[in-house]
Amino acid sequence: MKDDRPTIPGEVDRVDKPEPGLTPDPAPSYREGDVIHTAPEFVIADLDVLAAERGDVVEGSSLWRDAWRRLLKNKLAVFGMIVVTLVAIASIVGPAIIKRTTGYAPDTIPSDAKLIKSYPPFRAPDGSFSWLHPLGTDNQGRDMLARVLQGGQISLMVGIIATIVSLLIGVAYGAVAGYLGGRIDNLMMRFVDILYSLPYIILVIVLLAMFRRNTPMGQLVLLFVALGSVSWLTMARIVRGQVLSLKNQEFVLAARATGVSTLRIIFRHIVPNTLGPVIVYATLTIPTIMLTEAFLSFLGFGVQPPLASWGTLATDGIQNIGIFPWQMVFPGLTMALTLFSLNFLGDGLRDALDPQMRKL
Amino acid sequence: MISFIIRRLIITIPTILVVITLTWGLIRLAPGNFYTGEKKIPKAIENNIREKYGLNKPWYVQYGKMMGHVVLLDFGNSLKYEGQSVNQIIARSLPVSAAIGISAYLLALIVGILLGSIAALKQNSKWDYASMALAMLGISIPNFVLGPILVLVFSLTLYWFPPARWYGFPSRGAVLPILTLSALYMAYIARLTRAGMLEVLRSDYIRTARSKGLSERQVVIRHALRGGLMPVVSFTGPALAFLLTGTVVVERIFALPGLGNYFIQASLNRDEPLIIGIVAFIAITLLLMNLLVDIAYGYLDPRIRY
Repeated sequence: MKDDRPTIPGEVDRVDKPEPGLTPDPAPSYREGDVIHTAPEFVIADLDVLAAERGDVVEGSSLWRDAWRRLLKNKLAVFGMIVVTLVAIASIVGPAIIKRTTGYAPDTIPSDAKLIKSYPPFRAPDGSFSWLHPLGTDNQGRDMLARVLQGGQISLMVGIIATIVSLLIGVAYGAVAGYLGGRIDNLMMRFVDILYSLPYIILVIVLLAMFRRNTPMGQLVLLFVALGSVSWLTMARIVRGQVLSLKNQEFVLAARATGVSTLRIIFRHIVPNTLGPVIVYATLTIPTIMLTEAFLSFLGFGVQPPLASWGTLATDGIQNIGIFPWQMVFPGLTMALTLFSLNFLGDGLRDALDPQMRKL
Repeated sequence: MISFIIRRLIITIPTILVVITLTWGLIRLAPGNFYTGEKKIPKAIENNIREKYGLNKPWYVQYGKMMGHVVLLDFGNSLKYEGQSVNQIIARSLPVSAAIGISAYLLALIVGILLGSIAALKQNSKWDYASMALAMLGISIPNFVLGPILVLVFSLTLYWFPPARWYGFPSRGAVLPILTLSALYMAYIARLTRAGMLEVLRSDYIRTARSKGLSERQVVIRHALRGGLMPVVSFTGPALAFLLTGTVVVERIFALPGLGNYFIQASLNRDEPLIIGIVAFIAITLLLMNLLVDIAYGYLDPRIRY
């Protein structure tokens, strides 16, 4: 029961090093035993120790460098970071490489009619082992690996762009509400409360069903708007909370005293100081949005052919799950792995950047 | 407390009206209409249809008529399922969704709280790591991937459960939908329980309880769980929203005649009365449940005053 000792500020308790024989903490967001989180004095002590261990002269360390160091200590976050980077790189360059080496683009349907059918992974048409299609082919003989990688492009793009949309709206809204305060703040946050209680996914479905675009690009833009415009609420709340705690600090007073305009104070002086929580929350928003996109694609409201995301690929595969399971399993699991890694990365970032924010 | 409930109802009712107005607006602003399809219909027939459904009247008359329906909770007849009223369809499909949703939530509560408590009590042990990795997996696997994988394993390979269709409740057919639906909440509840319990186990009153000689079991069950489960209680609101999206997917995968499935069909068919009816029903249920959760919260945590 060593973890139940009350933490005494300043008491140096090295819990951040994993105990020998145990794998490092896979759920970093709740490492509440960490004295780092509760005793600010310890952070300084810790850095001194680290610096001393390396034999450096103790120098000033920025928030970002500290955070980076803490992030690298978190094995699962590093794992997440590596996987996400690999998946992203593979999605971007993979389809082109496959085209070069095998001649299969993601949408290449073989000209030989005999090849237009679904082959299992690593199988040539005659049933022998072959490297041609490591993930098999779909019903029309298209290479699954190329399709999964191209699906990654679309899924990641939707996740990132919709997150940027929600980021822009949320940060601007939250910062303005928090900085202006008083009645305006009250009104703006009441509005957010009301939006919070709306069954927004229902409205998104109605929106997408009613305004269905015939062009894949049009549908994609509609998707960005729909997803981005419903996921900024939490961001607005987080930023507002941060701004409330920042706006009475000396640097804001100094800016105001030197005659900086309100808008400039908000966006040049206050918002950059809220970046930590914003980055953390944005990292956690990407997988949520990717999941929602997949959900909408599953229902037929998301990405339209010929574009395909992991969601649409998995959905296409569901019909043939009994006969050609690889058509669903590969896009589905690739997506799950990516979301898994993004979630771990987000949790790790939260621990590294903002030990206070430990909610969901 | 009474004034709190009244204040909340004053916000809740306009919110429901806003949801319905938004939905109606979206349906009406979208190009085309429910009768427009691949084939072009003659002008005379179109005029007859518009006449029959009152579409030739000004928009505010139509809006007023729709709102009148909503206020009376009688949403009229479906456009697609002829001769069936929206209320009949809801009454028929709700039990399916509710049976699956409630059982999935209960299952998630039991397993989630158990996993989360074990993880918190044995923090940094392999139990902790295993249950938290499992929880992260539950959050990361989309349920429309999990569902078919379960079908592949348990129906098409092991032949334990039927792969689809509704066989009533309880039945073997309900097992896979419930499992699929509960995975996500299980994961969330496990994480919330762990976080809540870790915080509580470190607090002074638990130390007091221990130091007065209570058994570990009593400390955990009588004292720690009550405080540690507060985050789980406040998750009930969002959980209901998740439940809704979850049932839509699960009902589609397993071809169950539930509310979510009808809602998707209605959206695809532009079946306006049915869409409005289901949206109104969902909005009312969600907001009332949220109100109940807030009230329950006040009872569980006497420090909260409204």
